[in-house]
Amino acid sequence: MSDRFGLGWRPALAAGILSNLDKIDLVEVIADDFFHAAKRERRALRTLASQTAVTLHGVSLGMASAVPVDSRRLDKMARLCGEVGPVSWSEHLAFVRGGGIEIGHLAAPPRTSATIDGTLANLARARTIVGFAPQVENVATLIDPPGSDRDEATWIAEIIREAKSDLLLDLHNLYANALNFQFDPFAFIARLPAERIAAIHLAGGKWIGANGARRLLDDHLHDVPDPVYDLLAAVGERATRSLTVILERDGDFPAIDCLMDQLERARQALAQGRLRLACKKGEAATA
Amino acid sequence: MNPFDLPGPEFLGFYLALAAIVILGSVLWRRAAEAGSAPRIDLADPYLIAYLRGGANEMLCVGLVSLIDRGLLAVNGTQIQRAPNATPNSVRRPIEKALLEIYEKPGTATSIFDDPGLKPICDEHKETLERNGLLPDAGVAQARLVRLIFACCLLGGVGVLKIMIALDRGRTNIQFLVILIIVALGVAIKFASPRLTEKGATLLADIRTLYAGLKDRAYSIRPGGATLDALMLTAAFGMGALAGEDFAYTRTLFPRAKSSTSSLSSSWGSSCGSSCSSGSSSCGSSCGGGGCGGGCGGCGG
Repeated sequence: MSDRFGLGWRPALAAGILSNLDKIDLVEVIADDFFHAAKRERRALRTLASQTAVTLHGVSLGMASAVPVDSRRLDKMARLCGEVGPVSWSEHLAFVRGGGIEIGHLAAPPRTSATIDGTLANLARARTIVGFAPQVENVATLIDPPGSDRDEATWIAEIIREAKSDLLLDLHNLYANALNFQFDPFAFIARLPAERIAAIHLAGGKWIGANGARRLLDDHLHDVPDPVYDLLAAVGERATRSLTVILERDGDFPAIDCLMDQLERARQALAQGRLRLACKKGEAATA
Repeated sequence: MNPFDLPGPEFLGFYLALAAIVILGSVLWRRAAEAGSAPRIDLADPYLIAYLRGGANEMLCVGLVSLIDRGLLAVNGTQIQRAPNATPNSVRRPIEKALLEIYEKPGTATSIFDDPGLKPICDEHKETLERNGLLPDAGVAQARLVRLIFACCLLGGVGVLKIMIALDRGRTNIQFLVILIIVALGVAIKFASPRLTEKGATLLADIRTLYAGLKDRAYSIRPGGATLDALMLTAAFGMGALAGEDFAYTRTLFPRAKSSTSSLSSSWGSSCGSSCSSGSSSCGSSCGGGGCGGGCGGCGG
């Protein structure tokens, strides 16, 4: 399996990313930044895509909503995909607006049949308009969505099974949710359809709040914590297809070498998981 | 209507329109002929980018900044000299090795511009750019010459023919037409052969857009060579883009370096991706949807 490793493209990291293209398999670009971009900016994105593989990441579609996703935004995504030729595109299992009001946040919806139905309809619509389905990403949340009648793993597994969509599993979001709501992230991974896990996000965060009400915030401003690498190894042990692993960093940028070290650590963690998977297969064949 | 029968002022108007059409047509023709998709070159090679932007001298200037920034060359006023602990073996790139050899003895920054020892190294970069269609090679130069000859023959021929007809009809007030012909030919020559091909100009613009984020935070770039930021900023935008007192030596060594005023703030230059930024914390690109509203509750994405 040829897993791929890359970084989230951020302008501040341009020099570092472009000087390490021999060690980076792809970059992830925030699609929404280019929906209204000038012609020269989109052309520069095409030039970037001509140097390395690009995946587009959406943040504003609001897929996990009972409200139909805005077809104008999907049109823009479709146009951008047509221009750039990404290897994939992705969007969050979140809602970002309601009643015409932008909430400015990737909010976790209530985990119910209604939001599953709404999400499935939106994913079908996205597939039709853009031409191919997005990978869907789990989100971090600071509150357990009220009104939910099932847990997150069940809700996500139902969506990706029904929609036949691939999962972009954000391991720091999973790690943060697991700590904030006290569940076992390894058991969570075990409950996901392994054949649908296609991509991984790695990031860091920080603790907020006072004692007793502390929450781990996924802020993308810190290094990837050690347990997230353990989760990556666990995914490598289960996922049956090649994975794309993206390291996200949105600010407080360290030297590029530090990010490359984290990417290298991710390679090692995934390789470790893959090795365990190969051993299991070997044992099964022997038995 | 025969344009050669037009009276003087009307013919001048006709000629002006003809010149505009011919020059614009030849520019569009050249651009179409030299356009193409971006070649796969090393977008992080500061010397290649500097050569693309400004030629051999710009490439040498970037080499000097790189070595000074890394402490391998020392600056004393307008004089540069190799640092005591530096040797040509301290560096990997041929251009840097050559510069360290040259500055074993002190010299000014501009003293290297005509150094014959550096020419082969600069020429290698030039050939790479030519091979990728970013600088005009012999074939492109010949095609440009053919287009220029065509434009000049048309503009010169029409003008001269009108002058001959006018003289034949006993009119001698041809000064304005002569001036117009000279100006038209001058403009045609000027636009016929820019330094870069259309593909090269497009790629340079794209590179500058990709590095726009560096320009936006030029004041926060620290010297010391720990990152490529200062080097890539100089390569893409020139010496004038280096800001702050830490790089004041560039203004002494290269007094003509000017601060670039063009703004490239854009999707590429924004430090906070799509929308989310509040207070001192910068909530990154994956944050939020169509606006920050009440603020970021973390990225969650």
